[in-house]
Amino acid sequence: MPIIDQGYQHWSGELSGQAWRWLAITRRGVKTALQGRWIRLAILVAWLPALVLAFVLCMWGLVERQSDLVETFKPFLTGLLGRPVVAGPREYRVEIWTLCFHYFLTWELGFIMILVLMAGPNLVSQDLRCNALPLYFSRPLRRIDYFAGKLGVIATLIGLIVIGPILVAYSLGLLFSLDITIVRDTLPILFGSITYGVIVAISAGLLMLAMSSLTRNSRYVALLWLGVWLITGTVSVVLIQVDQAQRSRAVGARYHRWDNEQFLSAELDAAKHDWRPLVSYTANLRRMEESLIHTNAAWQKLIELTPVGQRGRLMFNLVDTQYPWYWSAGVLIGLAVLSACVLNLTVKSLDRIK
Amino acid sequence: MPTLFQFTNVSKTYGAVRALDDLTLAVPERAIGLLGPNGSGKTTMIRTLLGLIPVDCGTGEVLGLDFSRRQLEIRRKVGFAPEDECLFPHVQGVEFVAYAGELVGMSPIDALQRSHEVLDYVGLGEARYRKVESYSTGMKQRLKLASAIVHDPKLLVLDEPTNGMDPAGREEVLELAHDLAHNKGINLIFSSHILPDVEAVCDYVIVLGRGKLLAQGEISALKQIHEQAFDVRVKSNTGAFIERLSAQGCSAEPNGDLLRVRIPASASPQILWEAAAAAGDQIRHLRPQRSTLEEVFLNAVEKP
Repeated sequence: MPIIDQGYQHWSGELSGQAWRWLAITRRGVKTALQGRWIRLAILVAWLPALVLAFVLCMWGLVERQSDLVETFKPFLTGLLGRPVVAGPREYRVEIWTLCFHYFLTWELGFIMILVLMAGPNLVSQDLRCNALPLYFSRPLRRIDYFAGKLGVIATLIGLIVIGPILVAYSLGLLFSLDITIVRDTLPILFGSITYGVIVAISAGLLMLAMSSLTRNSRYVALLWLGVWLITGTVSVVLIQVDQAQRSRAVGARYHRWDNEQFLSAELDAAKHDWRPLVSYTANLRRMEESLIHTNAAWQKLIELTPVGQRGRLMFNLVDTQYPWYWSAGVLIGLAVLSACVLNLTVKSLDRIK
Repeated sequence: MPTLFQFTNVSKTYGAVRALDDLTLAVPERAIGLLGPNGSGKTTMIRTLLGLIPVDCGTGEVLGLDFSRRQLEIRRKVGFAPEDECLFPHVQGVEFVAYAGELVGMSPIDALQRSHEVLDYVGLGEARYRKVESYSTGMKQRLKLASAIVHDPKLLVLDEPTNGMDPAGREEVLELAHDLAHNKGINLIFSSHILPDVEAVCDYVIVLGRGKLLAQGEISALKQIHEQAFDVRVKSNTGAFIERLSAQGCSAEPNGDLLRVRIPASASPQILWEAAAAAGDQIRHLRPQRSTLEEVFLNAVEKP
């Protein structure tokens, strides 16, 4: 039978508006990404810190309520946090929540880098490799819709492992505390964490899209991403350590001890003007996290509770985030602008239609 | 007949190259063949029609929409199947076509349902769940066609749709294009170098050369009948027949297994019968000469 005998029906449905056109690209991209076994596994593993976060927040709720259920853990908590914290937990609610979210976000940053590494390289480079851009640009799509759709894929994946778990853990923490004032105290932490997630999604997404548009070979994109993540981090650490070694030589090796509070205070002062962490992409993201959920203030309060002479361990946590947050914001904005320029130059619709 | 698209003094340059040179034309709604040698401006014309490039000067409309200002609306009403493969791997045929529909703005459910329908129509119903990378060239071409018609466009643009295809696959694509243009009410722009393909599908052609319009019109009108020229075959003695014709003031030259005979302006075809009788021969084939599309194309392109 000739194939034309199977008929053709006209279609009279409604087409959606232009504003949501990018969503089709995001939907397709997320579906494709989630078909990958390794990406699904990475997401599952990335949820483990969220389980821990939810568990700790629930436990803290019980501690605040002086519940009998946590009596067994009290000696452990006293040893870990100190007697004043366990005796008056509501006084330290903000600090404990802040540090819980801080540790969660620190872990998740690693998973974000891995997930972007797995899902990102193909986003634009595959379209270039397969000459698939005409599929998009011969349809009612602008380049901004295309980029937004591809960015949405990365944003969705990051949302799945950061923003979603944060909302669930926060809700569980509220439920277990049974105290309405906790909303007032912890809402800035929630907003700060979500804002951080959005910043990471936009920054990492744009950067990955720009890299992905530079080559048709996804493996090169993956290598570039590894370079941005690991090499910039390593270079930054090396530069910082060289600088510290110079200071150490100047003051003498016996003075240069991380449990020496005087030395740490001097290091904190030096870190306020240190540009070297800016070399690391992830350090810049971590600096933004600190400025959004105020981790330093939480550490500071816990340091004040600790007897002099035992504060070194806690002060050490402050060293990385002493320089002004807007330096890192500037670096991230610069990278985002650069990425947007690269995308603008490399993905040109009409050049691809032959 | 309503106008499918029109250009008024449209020019477009790429550096020193003038891709469209003060082009003015109006084309009626129907199946249009777009002909022209490489670099003649066909691709630029398609890009302009789709609103993908700004023109240097001039105005124009596609389906009544200004192509300089209402590009997205135009692309909503147009389906385009590019020459390149443009299929990404690891996706089923049905998903690919549905995705094309979603990109135009169809809801996911509508797009999927419509995808099944058009895949049946183009003859890929059995292969709809296969990954596109396993498709043959012909199947890929039909998949691109299905992606272009999934939203039921008013105008379908096919760019070199039969390139690299085997005869059977080519025949199927031509049948589909012909059916869409002549039985389903979809206007068609068919850009191809293969003139028989254009002739099989289209009833109107535009010939471009160096960005200018060289010829346009109904194929049937362009392939005019020559009143004083005939294709003739005689039974045996061609030499004697030619001699008699020359004596009558006719010119004759071989054209395959036929003779192309031009008779004087004042003579009638009766002269051919008389010449054959005088040569003692019989006429076995006699037909007024009709220009082929190839001749129309070559004449247009070779015009100074």
